[in-house]
Amino acid sequence: MYQYTAFDRQFVHQRAAQFRDQLERHLAGRLPDDEFRALRLQNGWYVQRHAPMLRIAVPYGELAARQLRALGRIAREYDRGYGHFTTRQNLQFNWIPLNRGADVMDALAAVDMHGIQTSGNCIRNITSDALAGIAPDEVVDPRPYCELLRQWSTLHPEFAFLPRKFKIAVTGAREDRAAIGWHDIGLHLKKNEAGEIGFKVLVGGGMGRTPVIGTVVREFLPWQQILVFIEAIVRVYNRYGRRDNMYKARIKILVKAEGQKFVDAVAAEFAHILNDDVDGAAHLIPQAEFERVNASFALPEGVGEAGAPASAPTETAPAFRRWLERNVHAHRLPGYRAVTLSLKRAGQPPGDVSADQMDAAAELAERYSHGELRVTHDQNLLLPWVRESDLAALWKAARAATFATPNIGLLTDMIACPGGDFCGLANARSIPVAAEITERYTDLDELWDIGDIDLHISGCINSCGHHHSGHIGILGVDKDGKEWYQVSLGGSDGSTLSGASVPGKVIGPSFAADEVADAVEAVIGTYKAQRAANERFIDTVRRIGLEPFKGPANAARRSTAHAA
Amino acid sequence: MKFVDLHRDPWHALGGEDGPPVSINPDPYLLLDLSQWHAARAAWPLDVPVGLKLANDQDVEDVAADLPRFALVALQFPKWTDGRAYSQARLLRSRWRFAGEVRATGEVLVDMLPLLARTGFDAVQLRADQSRDAAERALGFFRGHYQGDVRDNRPLFAQPAGTAERLAREQDFVHHGASI
Repeated sequence: MYQYTAFDRQFVHQRAAQFRDQLERHLAGRLPDDEFRALRLQNGWYVQRHAPMLRIAVPYGELAARQLRALGRIAREYDRGYGHFTTRQNLQFNWIPLNRGADVMDALAAVDMHGIQTSGNCIRNITSDALAGIAPDEVVDPRPYCELLRQWSTLHPEFAFLPRKFKIAVTGAREDRAAIGWHDIGLHLKKNEAGEIGFKVLVGGGMGRTPVIGTVVREFLPWQQILVFIEAIVRVYNRYGRRDNMYKARIKILVKAEGQKFVDAVAAEFAHILNDDVDGAAHLIPQAEFERVNASFALPEGVGEAGAPASAPTETAPAFRRWLERNVHAHRLPGYRAVTLSLKRAGQPPGDVSADQMDAAAELAERYSHGELRVTHDQNLLLPWVRESDLAALWKAARAATFATPNIGLLTDMIACPGGDFCGLANARSIPVAAEITERYTDLDELWDIGDIDLHISGCINSCGHHHSGHIGILGVDKDGKEWYQVSLGGSDGSTLSGASVPGKVIGPSFAADEVADAVEAVIGTYKAQRAANERFIDTVRRIGLEPFKGPANAARRSTAHAA
Repeated sequence: MKFVDLHRDPWHALGGEDGPPVSINPDPYLLLDLSQWHAARAAWPLDVPVGLKLANDQDVEDVAADLPRFALVALQFPKWTDGRAYSQARLLRSRWRFAGEVRATGEVLVDMLPLLARTGFDAVQLRADQSRDAAERALGFFRGHYQGDVRDNRPLFAQPAGTAERLAREQDFVHHGASI
């Protein structure tokens, strides 16, 4: 994974010092709430329902065991002993008092971490494929490009106050595991016929109130030009994106409104930078800089391109076999596997980890994965460098540490935001809904019988729980001060299994809080009754449409029966 | 960075009634908005300094040809979180080589200073309640940055070999100094 240079290290310390100065002025009454707000947001500090929430960047999901241990220490020392991994591969704490904020930023800087641009109307933490660098279907390893983009976007002086937040996702595999169509900019690395590397560039995807899939603006952009091209996109957006209405301020609205004119404006701006600006070509990436960054992503010491001797596990316990099938993934190196540590288990909200669990995961990474972990878009942890011969031992250790639920890709491996229990923006709670569904589907046979399915839960239209892209999406809404839930079907994140990215469709009026789990159960029941042999949930929905699901879902209504 | 002291600043807006003026006397150091400039342009003597006040939704491109005639361009931050003027300043300097003063006006807060300095502003008119000391301190937190800016568009990776290492060492030195 990326190794901080002395410059990088000093940079995050300088950022921590700057934040301390701002926080001290705020606490001394010299920087009012309103003005401190945008500054703290760009360091990851929200003010939430109970306390400030701190979002810490895990750039493109790569996390070192020593960093995870430091997060565990922060959880114990400053928080109430746990954290929450998000769909954007970040980690959030919920209970840190703001007046200790500067100390936490120092503690993070000590392990090369920070909260830079994890919130605010700026270019956010860049996300990528959790299997970057290890996936068998990978064409180009996206991590060095992600790092180049991270550095370029970090404290970019022109783009700190955009009309709205700006999210970039990068993938380099055949399969899109980074949901790039749903991002402000989606980048798909590929090789052309000459073997040269470039990006397919999508712009203007996004969730929220108006779900939109990104538009392809370039089929193949040579990789050397990516910083300049993104500068052109973001400058056009900064100048012409709407600022009069927060709900129309994302770049997707500009792209939709302007269509080809937007694409032309970006092309013209790109040409202006290169041809007209003082030293305009300075951000073309030289091969030497790529090599310098790429050197960080060499195989860990002791891992060779030849891999390890094949060593099929001899353990025959059925539980192990299940885990092998769901939580263990193919690797590009022979003799190696990637292993998901499931953070989806009864009794804990999806993505939550206690300080002890952070330590346990760090220890598993040290013992079995060269001290490296990944945070996945689905809110799990993943060990990228596991030897086949260690799988049985890892399984036992992961089970002891609560990480071995063999449910990856299944119904209970759901995505959920923290919702109204924590989030100041939420209209409804997500965690109780997730918990109720998790409790109903503890029977592994039943879960396996239901098969691959994406259940995504958001507590409000900001869509942090990606309800639009769920095969089943649940959206919390507020009506008359009460919590209600819209259920949608047929959404896709753009993966091979789910098909081309598309938002799901709502199946009817909102359900009451005590009806929503029944409604989901009714939807699952309908699928089981209607499916063809070996047909997955999403395929059944596509084949038969929404109608057959509506009746059974409506039958789950009690208080809302009159509305349906 | 120049901190504008309004009591000593020679620049002034056109007095009198609102609306497009019938005639504009070429007073030195008049700060005109775009419509006023268009009205005065033809008769304005080349040796009388004039400034342009550009709203943040007006395009720099539209005044590009006239830029050599302005001694100052004043850009606006109607709200400090509206970042359009950063792009305007950057274009004025990098694309149109504007060499006069680029001044930040409106809701200008001390924490904007690093961004202003890096996008091409060389003068700020701080909001009245802002502290000049805090503004100067705000300029000093970072020894270097990754991406290029208007002062030097070369990013860290295009700087002479050893620059990143030197900057990291300098900061070490500053830290040591602070702890003595």
